[in-house]
Amino acid sequence: MSAVAKAGRAFSLPGKGSKKRSRVLAALAILGAIILPLFYESGSPWVEDYTIALAYVVMALGLNVVVGFAGLLDLGYVAFFAIGAYTIGWFASGHFAQVNIHVGVAEQLRDVPGIHLNYLLIAVIAIVLAAALGAILGFPTLRLRGDYIAIVTLAFGEIIHRVAVNGDEGVFGIGEFNLTNGRSGINPIDKIDLPFVERFTTLDLRPWYWLALAIALVILFVNVRLRDSRLGRAWIAVREDEVAAVSMGVPTTKVKLLAYSIGAAMGGLGGSFIGAFYEQVNADQFEFSFSIFVLAMIILGGLGSVWGVVVGAVALSLINTRLIPDVFNSVPQKIGLDFDLTQLGFGIFGFLLVIMMVLRPQGMIPEKRRAAELVDHIGTGSESVYEVRK
Amino acid sequence: MEASSASASAPRPRRTRGDLSDEIAKYVLIGLLLIMPVYYGIQDLADEGDLSRLATNIKDGLSNGAILALIAIGYTLVYGIIELINFAHGDVFMLGTLVSLGFFGTIGLTEATGGAGLFLGMLLTLLLAMVACGTLNTMIERVAYRPLRGAPRLAPLITAIGFSFILQNVGLLWIGGSHRSVPDLVGSQDRLFEFAGVTVSNGDVLAAVVTVPLVLLLVNFINKHRLGRAMRATAQDPEAARLMGINVDTTIGLTFLLGGMMAGAAGIVYALYQTDAWFFQGFQAGLLAFTSAVLGGIGNLRGAVLGGLIIGIIQQLSDNRIATEWTPAIVFAYLVLILVFRPQGLLGEKGREAG
Amino acid sequence: MSANGSILETDGLTKIFGGLVAVDAVTFAVRRGEIASIIGPNGAGKTTFFNMLTGLYKPSFGRVVFDGRDVTGARPDKITKSGLARTFQNIRLFGTMTCVENVLVGRHSRMRASVWGAILRPPFERREEGEGRDVARELLKYVGVNERFHNTVASSLPYGDQRRVEIARALASEPRLLLLDEPTAGMNPAESAELTQFMQKLREERDLSILLIEHDMKVVMGVSEHITVLDHGEKIAEGTPQEVRNNPKVVEAYLGKQE
Repeated sequence: MSAVAKAGRAFSLPGKGSKKRSRVLAALAILGAIILPLFYESGSPWVEDYTIALAYVVMALGLNVVVGFAGLLDLGYVAFFAIGAYTIGWFASGHFAQVNIHVGVAEQLRDVPGIHLNYLLIAVIAIVLAAALGAILGFPTLRLRGDYIAIVTLAFGEIIHRVAVNGDEGVFGIGEFNLTNGRSGINPIDKIDLPFVERFTTLDLRPWYWLALAIALVILFVNVRLRDSRLGRAWIAVREDEVAAVSMGVPTTKVKLLAYSIGAAMGGLGGSFIGAFYEQVNADQFEFSFSIFVLAMIILGGLGSVWGVVVGAVALSLINTRLIPDVFNSVPQKIGLDFDLTQLGFGIFGFLLVIMMVLRPQGMIPEKRRAAELVDHIGTGSESVYEVRK
Repeated sequence: MEASSASASAPRPRRTRGDLSDEIAKYVLIGLLLIMPVYYGIQDLADEGDLSRLATNIKDGLSNGAILALIAIGYTLVYGIIELINFAHGDVFMLGTLVSLGFFGTIGLTEATGGAGLFLGMLLTLLLAMVACGTLNTMIERVAYRPLRGAPRLAPLITAIGFSFILQNVGLLWIGGSHRSVPDLVGSQDRLFEFAGVTVSNGDVLAAVVTVPLVLLLVNFINKHRLGRAMRATAQDPEAARLMGINVDTTIGLTFLLGGMMAGAAGIVYALYQTDAWFFQGFQAGLLAFTSAVLGGIGNLRGAVLGGLIIGIIQQLSDNRIATEWTPAIVFAYLVLILVFRPQGLLGEKGREAG
Repeated sequence: MSANGSILETDGLTKIFGGLVAVDAVTFAVRRGEIASIIGPNGAGKTTFFNMLTGLYKPSFGRVVFDGRDVTGARPDKITKSGLARTFQNIRLFGTMTCVENVLVGRHSRMRASVWGAILRPPFERREEGEGRDVARELLKYVGVNERFHNTVASSLPYGDQRRVEIARALASEPRLLLLDEPTAGMNPAESAELTQFMQKLREERDLSILLIEHDMKVVMGVSEHITVLDHGEKIAEGTPQEVRNNPKVVEAYLGKQE
């Protein structure tokens, strides 16, 4: 008898009453987020941290589509962050100084060589390029089972990283085209200039924050809609039992590629924003640890749970930019020890990952279905269609 | 088993279209692997008139490959028995190097130590590294994998990555963030003899002398010994093995122990051969070794060794002829190609592999 | 081709697993509107044969023609889309989905919603979702799943109901041919009789052809118009229940193992 027949364990999905409650909570949270920067000075480092947290929210939501919704173990998400960041690096800076294209940018930039496009255009390009890259990188993984998807995506992430680092010397040692400027990176990147609004500056961080918030809200909305759609259902089906799904007429190839593309597009969007925010992009940002960091956000927050992922992303991002440097660093001296706690950074992080998976794999705000899978092991352990179709 | 046929049946070909495309894929893969050696061989002949540089590359590749082979064995054995990739395995290898380095200091081995003392010291360190890493690997199985049996694939994967980070941090705290040089106890680069125009050094001999006996012992153990048979049985069919009275849990623990021991041996060889230790060496070596295991055929012991040697050569060619910065990208490109076109690798059989 | 009224035909269909011949050149047909069965002792290759029909296995040799089109080696989702649906021997419902959601997945190929549609939810999409849910509920009622269970998670239902949901899910794709893999496994005689009646109802009311794999001889003899017998991967007999029952080869193959 199958696991489904054996389980017999009841769990129910949230009813109407609690849905209303969560809507009210969500509205309050959004309202709070909108007015948050007003409590700080315009250039406050806190606002900077919140903005970064929001960018991570966008990227974590993207990875959640791939891992949380579709169940594809992607360990190479950094690739999409990279392509988004390099998109803005290429199209909003003096990098390609041989050319002179200006579209929708301020007067001051008219004389600067290179390609300079308006951020809205760049966001679109970043989304398109990332989505394409997502499909390309996802394609080889379609026939593979879980662990191997992880390794292949990790390998891709590393390849992209290498291309970024060595990008000033062509690709794989062939050619001399300077694509990424390696570790020196591309800078400065133009500041964001939206229509109807004053050009963003580095002094007033609030416009950056509100733009990031707007993007995050749009992506949040898109995620919720996808989750509750025919495609969202197809993702759950493919995740739980690919063989049954394909036998029911779900085009599993297309469904998986859509997950990769959509998730990648969000990562690219986030990457382009971060590139603008930091005003530079360089290869050191694109290491494997980034992929794990974002993965940890969605696991800590609650795999597959849209709001959980938001909470997880904000939490880990703030811990990373605030808690560890400010608080942890001073702790050892206070208790009379003499070592640098940041040295323990990723060991503690690793420990948290282990503890989380063993004790509370469903995360802080669990998504009911995923919680059932992770905790009660309902609907797991299915073969991939390709294994069966030999 | 001959079926009694009700219908008239001509002798049916046993091989299908699928089998044929598999065979072709194998040769395509071999061809892809040969691209670099052949290309550079031709280049050498054109530039210098002989193949000695290529031969040196291959020799170095084999020595590095021996180290990769030992690590790859760990990946392949574990995957063969529980179908999971032990993400932390590369870092177990790294700790093997650190343990060796530390122990050298503890027992006072220096470059001045000669003859018997050196030999005994290294032997002791080898044993220590193997025991330490074997135990560590077994512990990881107990803590990270066993409690999560039956959980979705994601769960043990994350725990293993977590462990990988923990081990890396241990390494970081132990020897700091930069490369640390290891005393050149065996005179790793010292020329020992020449063979067909290629200089063979002490380090090369060390790699061979440690790897070959260990692999032979392991192969013998798995084929002849009762516990080794238990490992093979469990890898083939855990339920049947259980029914035959094999303690599956213990067998899995044993597999991790042996894999860890090989990684420990790889650790000390690496330390002495490269005379270098780095807390991050496990990440890269781990991925290269995993590629080796997949290339040879995951779950296949001989495959892991073969794969290790081949990847070692490819790595060396890339380091020497292109640039070390590109080597990981090149090897990973091979990994992707293998998994997409011939996931059972060179020696594996269909039905026991990745896709 | 199916000009002669076959909805499904196979021609020399063979499956070889690494040298082992699981299904050996089986040629057979299911006529439109027929209820047919495939029987045979354990290990005869019945499920392997089924899997080739639905595209889960790629045949090593031979052809499958469904509704006039050659679907040999086609992907399972394409085959389902062209009108062939199935249930599984060991129930494969989506454990964390409700009954309605499970059936909706079955309906996937009959819905048009796209990615943009999912995000923007134009009226057409909302209507399609609403209609889909209505159809799902109607199918669940049709197969006899009580309304109060419709929004319950599938894994918490009793076994018999889970079987019903699986059938509803298969019906959701509006198939022309329904493949049932041991549908009465685990049922008592009363339930089996109920299912037999239901199959006949299905065939009449929904204009379906049905192909079963079955072990329960009562059901097979009672409901099938045509029976094919496999043994060791080969077809050893076929015909009406009368013909098959009296065929010495069939008796020999079963060696007296009958229910």
